[in-house]
Amino acid sequence: MDAIAELSAEKGYGATKIADIVSRAGVARKTLYDNFDGKEEVFLAAIDTVIKEAMARVAAACADVGVDWKQQVEAGLKAMLSYVAEHPAAARMCMVEALSATPAASARYDEAMRECIGFLRQIVPKNTGLPETIEETLVGGVAWILHQQIRRGEAEKALDLLPELSDFVLSPYHGVGKSGPTRADESDSTVTDSKV
Amino acid sequence: MERLPRGRHGLSPEFVARNQRERLIAALTEVLYEVGYQKTTVSLIGQRASVSKSDFYKHFESKDDCFFGAYEAAIERIRECVLAACAGHDGSEWSQRVRDGVASLLALLSAEPALASIALVEGLRAGRGVYDRYQSSLESFVPYLREGAPAPPDGKAVPAATDEAVVGGIASLLGRRILAGDGERLDALLPDVLEFTLTPYLGAAEARRIISAG
Repeated sequence: MDAIAELSAEKGYGATKIADIVSRAGVARKTLYDNFDGKEEVFLAAIDTVIKEAMARVAAACADVGVDWKQQVEAGLKAMLSYVAEHPAAARMCMVEALSATPAASARYDEAMRECIGFLRQIVPKNTGLPETIEETLVGGVAWILHQQIRRGEAEKALDLLPELSDFVLSPYHGVGKSGPTRADESDSTVTDSKV
Repeated sequence: MERLPRGRHGLSPEFVARNQRERLIAALTEVLYEVGYQKTTVSLIGQRASVSKSDFYKHFESKDDCFFGAYEAAIERIRECVLAACAGHDGSEWSQRVRDGVASLLALLSAEPALASIALVEGLRAGRGVYDRYQSSLESFVPYLREGAPAPPDGKAVPAATDEAVVGGIASLLGRRILAGDGERLDALLPDVLEFTLTPYLGAAEARRIISAG
């Protein structure tokens, strides 16, 4: 599975052949077919493994309720960016190649986006009067910036994006309580409580 | 798009060729929306456009080539529409300009879901050859937003990635809705998209004031 991550990142999913995968992985063709039906199954299994690992890291980072929600958002974002920086090929496979490889692969990407949107919704203040779609657009914006960073071949430097991206994600929530007609000012502690 | 009359019609060969190319592009866009990229074939495109297979290959080398043409045409239509809506405002009316630009964008995309789909869904998913086009077309919309944007009220500079993240976030939201089959109701997202777009620049309170002022 590591082999297909590297190969799809290097030459694209379409150009990656079973022969390339087995030679890169140093396994017999038969071994591959004993475990998988074919190229797409290897690719999907690799995507699933990476997404599961990355999401577990993000979830763990967001789950630290000892800090305020802004720090939770930043911790979740940092976990995501560190994962990308440490696993550039895996990140490219899931955030770039998966989109165009096969419908099942792009569905994996969509599902991971949904999960990230869910994480953000859990953490941020409720009843802010912000649009319902705000978390979707924020996660979409972050994904787009990361997508570009990976395509530029600069996944290793993903953490450099942390200050700008956390400003971006937090910006809609600044001062909403002070001026928004639909929400009384909410202290950070009530927010943390309501989440648990 | 209507096919031209057969036989002697007095139309110039250039006109006929341009009309055929436009019909093929419109046909690919529709067929793609209906059956997806894998099942879109040169014969289906030709049938829909009433253009023979041999005429298809006079205009395009392959299905992919026709796709690229259709993708570029879709982006140009969207750009013309947004720029026309923005044209009535000078630099001092940034928020009005953004509001009219976003409103016209959503109106066009809702009215033409096939156009919305090729531009915002297929563009990112059709493969390596299109990534660059998708990325540069999204990037090409960033200056419309950045130009004349005010400094935020808290005095801090808007981070450099913000304009790009705003444009990418809108594209992602719209793409997700189109995939979910809600392409014809994108115009209902106008208040949401506007608030998301204006808030990083104006602060939440001012963004709301502008949106509720209509």
